[in-house]
Amino acid sequence: MASVALSEAEKVYIVHGVQEDLRVDGRGCEDYRYVEVETDVVSNTSGSARVKLGHTDILVGVKAEMGTPKLEKPNEGYLEFFVDCSANATPEFEGRGGDDLGTEIANTLYRIFNKSSVDLKSLCISPREHCWILYVDVLLLECGGNLFDTICIAVKAALFNTRIPRVRVLEDEEGSKDIELSDDPYDCIRLSVENVPCIVTLCKIGYRHVVDATLQEEACSLASLLVSVTSTGVVTCMRKVGKGSLDPESVFEMMETGKRVGKVLHASLQSVLHKEESLGPKRPKVGFLG
Amino acid sequence: MLKSKTFLKKTRAGGVMKIVREHYLRDDIGCGAPGCAACDGAHEGPVLEPQPLDPASSLCPRPHYLLPDTNVLLHQIDVLEDPAIRNVIVLQTVLQEVRNRSAPVYKRIRDVTNNQEKHFYTFTNEHHRETYVEQEQGENANDRNDRAIRVAAKWYNEHLKKMSAENHLQVIFITNDKKNKEKAIEEGIPAFTCEEYVKSLTANPELIDRLACLSEEGNEIESGRIIFSEHLPLSKLQQGIKSGTYLQGTFRASRENYLEATVWVHGDTEEDKEIILQGLKNLNRAVHEDIVAVELLPRNQWVAPSSVVLHDEGQNEDDVEKEEERERILNTAANEKMLKPTGRVVGIIKRNWRPYCGMLSKSDIKESRRHLFTPADRRIPRIRIETRQASALEGRRIIVAIDGWPRNSRYPNGHFVKNLGDVGDKETETEVLLLEHDVPHQPFSQAVLSFLPKMPWSITEKDMKNREDLRHLCVCSVDPPGCTDIDDALHCRELENGNLEVGVHIADVSHFIRPGNALDQESARRGTTVYLCEKRIDMVPELLSSNLCSLRCNVDRLAFSCIWEMNHNAEILKVRFTKSAINSKASLTYAEAQMRIDSAAMNDDITTSLRGLNKLAKILKKRRIEKGALTLSSPEVRFHMDSETHDPIDLQTKELRETNSMVEEFMLLANISVAKKIHEEFSEHALLRKHPAPPPSNYEILVKAAKSKNLEIKTDTAKSLADSLDRADSPTFPYLNTLLRILATRCMMQAVYFCSGMDNDFHHYGLASPIYTHFTSPIRRYADIIVHRLLAVAIGADCTYPELTDKHKLADLCKNLNFRHKMAQYAQRASVAFHTQLFFKSKGIVSEEAYILFVRKNAIVVLIPKYGLEGTVFFEEKDKPKPRLIYDDEIPSLKIEDTVFHIFDKVKVKIMLDSSNLQHQKIRMSLVEPQIPGVSISADTPNMDIDEPERKKKKREK
Amino acid sequence: MAGLELLSDQGYRVDGRRAGELRKIQARMGVFAQADGSAYIEQGNTKALAVVYGPHEIRGSRARALPDRALVNCQYSSATFSTGERKRRPHGDRKSCEMGLQLRQTFEAAILTQLHPRSQIDIYVQVLQADGGTYAACVNAATLAVLDAGIPMRDFVCACSAGFVDSTALADLSHVEEAAGGPQLALALLPASGQIALLEMDARLHEDHLEQVLEAAAQAARDVHTLLDHVVRQHVCEASVLLGD
Repeated sequence: MASVALSEAEKVYIVHGVQEDLRVDGRGCEDYRYVEVETDVVSNTSGSARVKLGHTDILVGVKAEMGTPKLEKPNEGYLEFFVDCSANATPEFEGRGGDDLGTEIANTLYRIFNKSSVDLKSLCISPREHCWILYVDVLLLECGGNLFDTICIAVKAALFNTRIPRVRVLEDEEGSKDIELSDDPYDCIRLSVENVPCIVTLCKIGYRHVVDATLQEEACSLASLLVSVTSTGVVTCMRKVGKGSLDPESVFEMMETGKRVGKVLHASLQSVLHKEESLGPKRPKVGFLG
Repeated sequence: MLKSKTFLKKTRAGGVMKIVREHYLRDDIGCGAPGCAACDGAHEGPVLEPQPLDPASSLCPRPHYLLPDTNVLLHQIDVLEDPAIRNVIVLQTVLQEVRNRSAPVYKRIRDVTNNQEKHFYTFTNEHHRETYVEQEQGENANDRNDRAIRVAAKWYNEHLKKMSAENHLQVIFITNDKKNKEKAIEEGIPAFTCEEYVKSLTANPELIDRLACLSEEGNEIESGRIIFSEHLPLSKLQQGIKSGTYLQGTFRASRENYLEATVWVHGDTEEDKEIILQGLKNLNRAVHEDIVAVELLPRNQWVAPSSVVLHDEGQNEDDVEKEEERERILNTAANEKMLKPTGRVVGIIKRNWRPYCGMLSKSDIKESRRHLFTPADRRIPRIRIETRQASALEGRRIIVAIDGWPRNSRYPNGHFVKNLGDVGDKETETEVLLLEHDVPHQPFSQAVLSFLPKMPWSITEKDMKNREDLRHLCVCSVDPPGCTDIDDALHCRELENGNLEVGVHIADVSHFIRPGNALDQESARRGTTVYLCEKRIDMVPELLSSNLCSLRCNVDRLAFSCIWEMNHNAEILKVRFTKSAINSKASLTYAEAQMRIDSAAMNDDITTSLRGLNKLAKILKKRRIEKGALTLSSPEVRFHMDSETHDPIDLQTKELRETNSMVEEFMLLANISVAKKIHEEFSEHALLRKHPAPPPSNYEILVKAAKSKNLEIKTDTAKSLADSLDRADSPTFPYLNTLLRILATRCMMQAVYFCSGMDNDFHHYGLASPIYTHFTSPIRRYADIIVHRLLAVAIGADCTYPELTDKHKLADLCKNLNFRHKMAQYAQRASVAFHTQLFFKSKGIVSEEAYILFVRKNAIVVLIPKYGLEGTVFFEEKDKPKPRLIYDDEIPSLKIEDTVFHIFDKVKVKIMLDSSNLQHQKIRMSLVEPQIPGVSISADTPNMDIDEPERKKKKREK
Repeated sequence: MAGLELLSDQGYRVDGRRAGELRKIQARMGVFAQADGSAYIEQGNTKALAVVYGPHEIRGSRARALPDRALVNCQYSSATFSTGERKRRPHGDRKSCEMGLQLRQTFEAAILTQLHPRSQIDIYVQVLQADGGTYAACVNAATLAVLDAGIPMRDFVCACSAGFVDSTALADLSHVEEAAGGPQLALALLPASGQIALLEMDARLHEDHLEQVLEAAAQAARDVHTLLDHVVRQHVCEASVLLGD
């Protein structure tokens, strides 16, 4: 994370701006920056997405692999999250430098995905024996503030893009099973991402809070609240981060803002994804070349 | 720079991995037609003819190229190989499918493509910008390929039209798939089935016979009752095999009983398991060598392998009932202990059909075009073929290929491929036995010959790099008379320190055959030189085998030398290996060498050298035998040929001299030394030879047989076997020892090549050596070439190459070599058998003394020492009343009426050539003594005939 | 089943290329704003990002500083989803460390390190998708990134792999071709002088063939240079337009 060193005067300028609902880059307190989303950027994954939010650049690859269901949930598949804070983002992440942050983000992702987020039963191939494990690997390429939100958007987009090959379980008289893969590459399962939540990070700056804080704004904030919201506005998880403290009243306020902003965010993400999909497989891919 | 403009990606989901491969489309792939302006700049030169005029087809009179689909290529390759068929476009899609489905056909089509006369052009349609198609939603891979083929056919027609409108060049799409053909015609592509097209070739009516008859699956159950149960689909079989319900194995039909077969189940851990199949229905249309899935029958239905000899002689197809009756014969009550796991074939995993040699059994109905074909190999069922030239083919050896085996048919369907010639003709019969044993024997192709050194050849400066000049040594070779491929030579001299230096010099074949080139590939494929009675099928072209590599005397030759320093007690003090140049001073025969050693008058260098070698060899042999090496015996026969007719006029068993064993001893020593060296250097990929110890059960028959003569044979170790064989002597029966050794040979396992990294048991049982390989005959064995290369790398005389150090490739190679060696042996035996027949044909009927080798349920197998000939005396004949036979498996013995036969009993048999079955002319033996009324035949009358030639022969021998 | 035919009788490789042809190469400089230099390259399906930070003060222990030249620090990492089978960790495994070391050696030979004594230059490469020739793609991407960072170099470093099948040298191996197990050669070339910055060879190859394979790799590297040079020129053009010249 490119560190920002701000002078006192700069901080005051930012805080006062927020007070007036006018941020340094001209946005209001509840406005996101311009988000760029592109899916299917890594062709050898089951699904992938790249999301750019300001200078924050996230690449997510989803790989479906076959495995055994967990003992306690014999008829469900599961998701595994891994976050790689690449040294690309900052030299500080070199070697094991990014591991702590990576683990923190991965844990957050585990927490916000609950039972109803993804239909895990559809990932089961045969109970107790075979299921799909979706490895959701997040690669942090550049960091310009508001990591959590960006990552969530990217994860959701990648899951939307995920295509799992359809397999049939063939069972003979003796009950032994064999797995057969469909030889039609178009024959695949899509996941419903309707209920996949997104995090809206609300940064407490002065007396107000803003969404999608830039690095500079984050430097002015002592505490923020992560609210994970589904497209219907249901809050699935909430977490306070940062070294400062929050008063209960503002927590409620922030939660309400989170719900409101989250719904809009989901709606626009959904429409972008569908629009991209409608272009079909012949759509020119931009990736990192544009 | 990249020439392709566009590229697409192909996604293949294999397992659960998503694999993404790039797929470049090009616009520089030519169409192969000459004079095409559009494809002028293409890389490939024109291959097709500009105006293909023949074959004249009544269906498509315009000049045309053919474009067959995959199935046509796979099944009608016999037609496509015909010289009449030319100007064919083979699509890459088709070629790849063929490659995946049948390696032999793929090889054949490649050979055809390389033949410039045939004008076959391979069009890389999958990478051509205008002919590539992507798999569409809901389309399976097969449909896509069919569509790709049609797109290419259409493209071709339009492309050619552009080229010259007045020429009316056409591309005819050939497919046997009805739907595909309809679709093609819909799309405006001229399309025919293979049959339609071939029938339209009015100038070449003989092609029709070569058409494979393929009944479409839907029509299979058209008429007649269903004899066989359905084969399960592959997916089901694989599932069943995984779960253990079915077992996978190689189907091996019995040579002696057409209603019986065994399946060798290849397991990973446990030993190979054998399952017995009995009865037509349980065999369920499996053909010898097929990979099948079998289901085990419940224990109460298990049977014992029958000792009955049964041949399929039925001409009629409706005698299925009779068949059933015959099957019942098999199920005679057997000892509980004898019961073996029994099963039935539920499906075929892989057919291993090949073209079969044999003869036509003409149908009784005169006008019929359907005839039965009887293969020469008894393990192959008869095949029904359709031909109009039945009368022309009668009495000829022909080749037929199987096309399919419907459920309602007693016999498989096939088609005529080739006429080899008259039965009994020596050329034809040799061809047959080569084909039947899959011995590659075509002349070497131009591509192979192109890698031969240019003549005149001499050793150059460059050749001498990394090579020692040993031309001054007094080297000589000792071989059988008439040997032209001399691959070993020896020398022995006294050193200044009193020790002896012994050198074995082996022809340096690997100097001439460089890894990976066509010459190398062909040699690897052939694996071994095959010696028939009067013909040698070389592994390497003659220039090498009989000239440049052959260590003839008084010429400079390249060699690979293994040189020991030994003391006079034949203990090895030092060993070294080097590439060398030698100049042999003499090429001797065994007899000549023996004579030199024995004659006191000769004291020249060569003779001294030979004496030294002989002395050492004796010590080596003694030591080897002490360690437990076996000396076994098998009757070997050699024919005296008439110099003009090349017919055998006499046969004799091979004679062994001291010098034979002298040469052998040093070859063994060299092989062992080399084996140690290469294993030391390449612990993971040394090519070695092992001879596994036989399982104790193999010896049962030997022990039982010896016991019946009150002798004890111990079989716990090789040493005790060798010792007890040495002791097993009967003063009254001098030949007994030889017989026991012959029998012991039959108990042995096959020695095999293997890759050291893939196995951990290296022991050579027969030679009692912990490690062994083949180094000494590179001219006639490919294994030796590999060993030479390994050794050369080990001593830094040559460089390595990737395949040499890839143990899986080496293991594959070993597999082929083992197969080729086995086949060469069989071919050799068959050749001897054929010449034996010729011999007895000229000789008439003779009566000879014989010893019983084995006792069967309804026959005895006897050996006639005089001719080294083995044969079976049957006691059940078709039209005669059956004698009372009591078979005792324990002793084993066979009681016929009141006479009991044991192993090693001396009998007298009458030998004659039985030509009643033209296909299988065979030596027929009948019992003369002891006399059993109704069973044995009187020796009187025929004896009169043979007495005279008998005497004549004796004279000649003197 | 028959194995894959790497080179058809007609002279086409599995993906339709001829023996000496490269895969399609596309590249872009200046992908990220925060880093001092960055670049992205696609060589067929192999995709790599490179980022350069520096020259800057030595991070961590000062003792590592070199009195006469800059310290080149490289890290190779490959995204967990980049390979066919998912990788467990992006870097820190043996192969990644080795790659990092090789990159460092390659760029120490190319960067004019003596111009920046006592400082450090970080080169981080990240493989996003691996389909053979990852080392070459990383070197090429890193060259562009170093150029983007404005760090003086002796020359471009252009890398390419080559293999050997059926007595023919194949340039720029794809993953299938690499997996077939034949000999492979990775070559990093300074094209102007023809000097070799790195040469690595796997599996056994007959000495006689080495020259042929080496020449194929060198030719391919020169082709890569033409392409990279074009990319750099294009980038400079665009940049100058933005600057309003």
